[in-house]
Amino acid sequence: MQSEIYKIKKGIQLNLIGEAQKAVKLMPATPCAINPPDFRWLVPKLIVDEGDCVKVGTPLFCNKNDESIRIVSPVSGTVCKIVRGEKRKLEHIVITSDGKSTCEDITIKEDNREDIIETLLVSGLWTFILQRPFAAIANPADMPKAVFVSCFDSAPLAPDYSFILKDKAKEFAKGIEIISKLTIGKTFLCLKADSDNSIFEDIATVEKCYFSGPHPSGNIGTQIHTIAPLGKGEVIWYANPQDIATIGNLFLNGKLDFSKTIAVCGESIENPCYLKLINGASLSPTLTKTTKGYKLNNTDEPTFDTVIKDTYTRIISGNILTGKAITDECFLRYYDNQVTLIPEGGKRELFGWLMPGINKWSLSHTYLSWLFKHKKYSLDTSLHGGRRSMVVSDVYEKVFPFSILPIELLKACEIKDIELMEELGIYEVVEEDFATCELVCPSKTECQQIIYEGLSLLRK
Amino acid sequence: MIKFITTISDKLHKTFGTKKMLRPFYALFDAVDTFILTPSTTTTRGCHIRDAVDMKRIMITVMAALLPALLFGLWNIGYQHFISLSQDAGFWKEFWYGFLKWLPMVLITYISGLTVEIIFAQRRGHQVAEGFFVTGMIIPMIMPPDIPLWILALATIFAVVFAKEAFGGTGYNFMNPALVARAFIFFAYPSKISGDSVWIAEKADAFSGATPLANAAAGNFDSLPSITDMVIGNIPGCIGETSKIAILLGAILLIYTQVASWRIIISTIAGGIAAGLCFNISGISAIPAYQHILMGGFLFGAVFMATDPVTSPHTKNGKLIYGFLIGVIAIIIRVLNKGYPEGMMLAILLMNVFTPLIDYISIQLNIRNRQHIRILKNEKLQQ
Repeated sequence: MQSEIYKIKKGIQLNLIGEAQKAVKLMPATPCAINPPDFRWLVPKLIVDEGDCVKVGTPLFCNKNDESIRIVSPVSGTVCKIVRGEKRKLEHIVITSDGKSTCEDITIKEDNREDIIETLLVSGLWTFILQRPFAAIANPADMPKAVFVSCFDSAPLAPDYSFILKDKAKEFAKGIEIISKLTIGKTFLCLKADSDNSIFEDIATVEKCYFSGPHPSGNIGTQIHTIAPLGKGEVIWYANPQDIATIGNLFLNGKLDFSKTIAVCGESIENPCYLKLINGASLSPTLTKTTKGYKLNNTDEPTFDTVIKDTYTRIISGNILTGKAITDECFLRYYDNQVTLIPEGGKRELFGWLMPGINKWSLSHTYLSWLFKHKKYSLDTSLHGGRRSMVVSDVYEKVFPFSILPIELLKACEIKDIELMEELGIYEVVEEDFATCELVCPSKTECQQIIYEGLSLLRK
Repeated sequence: MIKFITTISDKLHKTFGTKKMLRPFYALFDAVDTFILTPSTTTTRGCHIRDAVDMKRIMITVMAALLPALLFGLWNIGYQHFISLSQDAGFWKEFWYGFLKWLPMVLITYISGLTVEIIFAQRRGHQVAEGFFVTGMIIPMIMPPDIPLWILALATIFAVVFAKEAFGGTGYNFMNPALVARAFIFFAYPSKISGDSVWIAEKADAFSGATPLANAAAGNFDSLPSITDMVIGNIPGCIGETSKIAILLGAILLIYTQVASWRIIISTIAGGIAAGLCFNISGISAIPAYQHILMGGFLFGAVFMATDPVTSPHTKNGKLIYGFLIGVIAIIIRVLNKGYPEGMMLAILLMNVFTPLIDYISIQLNIRNRQHIRILKNEKLQQ
């Protein structure tokens, strides 16, 4: 089949210190947690109680509005606590592992689309099938106009999927075969141009598209926008390559296995590398405090100081643009394939606005640092300024590879004008697509939050 | 050193935050505090890292870009003054004379403008926006050197209150506040800002102080200064507008640092030249088109006033249209309306008013284009 190369010109290639070494460490069994807030706009209905014994695949809670969508336990063991936050909102369901990984019995059927959907729903793997618009769990009743899989991540310090999946080529191929049956349209495999794609290229039945250029060229939103822009009422389904391998594993080997490999990276980790763990695992037992930040322990010596409250290092589940800070037991979020550790900022500087700023990263040329284009930066969490009203005009356009007008869409979201939001293309974006705009905004606008609120308004 | 200042700042933060008497001054304290030390805030949600650029940095870049034009302007005030008295005072004396003329102007502008800004920021519970630092620098630069200070203060307060704060402050204004200040004087006290007698500080009566524009409008082409003089800028005029070389230096800095849009600057000049050429060809005006760019505040307006990101359109094409029309309208006013030799101010203000319309059209075009592209791609998808 023919393949096309799409050049994404707008965006940011941010070089940071702390890329993960290409070596995989195995993580010892730690408590795992499923966090209901990770599932966007899903109203959880709890099925288990504290103290219940669960197997891999035992449903923990389901979607209150569609009870066929169930979120299952990734490990076998005991539900040790259910943590609730404000207004009794479910925060974590923590499960201690018994180390046996016994599975629920699942009948695997793959004869037609309905059978596949049912198998995925029962096994809990349906949660890996997401939809645009909204980036929420797909509605099994919809028919997507296409299925997308982005086989690379262009975010800063992102994991390399061709490395992670190098031993799972068969499972991945099977997974692609399965999910391509979910649509009557085409299935697109989006690959990074000019890199090693040997695992992905063997799959013959799908369309392959090559993308080059800076972040967000690897974001599913950018790719969908480039190939098949979404209009009102249209749906596209997508999934992460690792999750597709998990689906493939179930259909190929009959195994329900929620383990995944993530990149642990960033400036504040002494030995950045890949880590194989169970989805939702607590990271705190594997981290030891050092002068630089943290260090990953050797496999068999977990520390017992399992609560992390640190004002000098920020541990982020996900990448630095869209991830979320995690503390205490540091549970990996459900859809994340990366954990980034960076130093907390907030150091005050004398006349910072006047200094040449050779070590400061900025897209604009107002600091001298732009003279050193390929420098690797050490960046902390400082906001670098105060929040102001939107004054910028063309900064966003340089980093936003959509034909959507970013400022107009943000303003439409702020004034809650649903009709204008729809016309300006709100269905094509989610928060992560605006992350680069938020990063460079001199007014320090919280673009992602504004878009999220806009989407929530539509979701109601 | 930094530690010492930080501790003092932390203590003051507590005092200003808790003591009732001091609370009305919190916005002022915060403005001074973040001026000296970068703020200690960190990201909370969304992106965990942020670009190092903020409004302060952008504004300081604009001020740096204004500096060459300002320094030249200060010298030129003195130079014109002593020439009108037929004296040769030497560079430093001329510069010092100009500096002493300018200093009270800039102080009055900042004091009156910032007072209004701080009062509004305090009432709204906002931080003081940096926009006025540039506005306050520009206002004296687009005034004649002999403007009475009370008029300057009145115009500044009028501009800040009615052109900016009435609409919600920096970022929400639809007209450039500095130009509103000038327009206020232009219409309320026309004798102080037009005519031949105001452009040279304390001019000797016998000396003609007409600007090139006034001469051109009156048809006195013989008394126009040479092109070289107009480029270098040793001619009568507003403080900041005379030296084209200094303004271009500023323009290079603004474009290089990507603070101002080159599209607006280039298209404004293109619009001016195009309109000038049309008048040349039709025989209405004998002034060569390029001379229009060198006369009066055309270039200063194109570089520093038209590019105001708040009052100019958001889209690329919108910027081109906006700039081009500013250039065209400025020349039309200059050539066709003998009463207003300088058309730049009114042209920019007029296009500021049309900016929402340009943005509206851009939005509608974008919506149509995207729909069209979507249909095309959907068809391709089904093949």
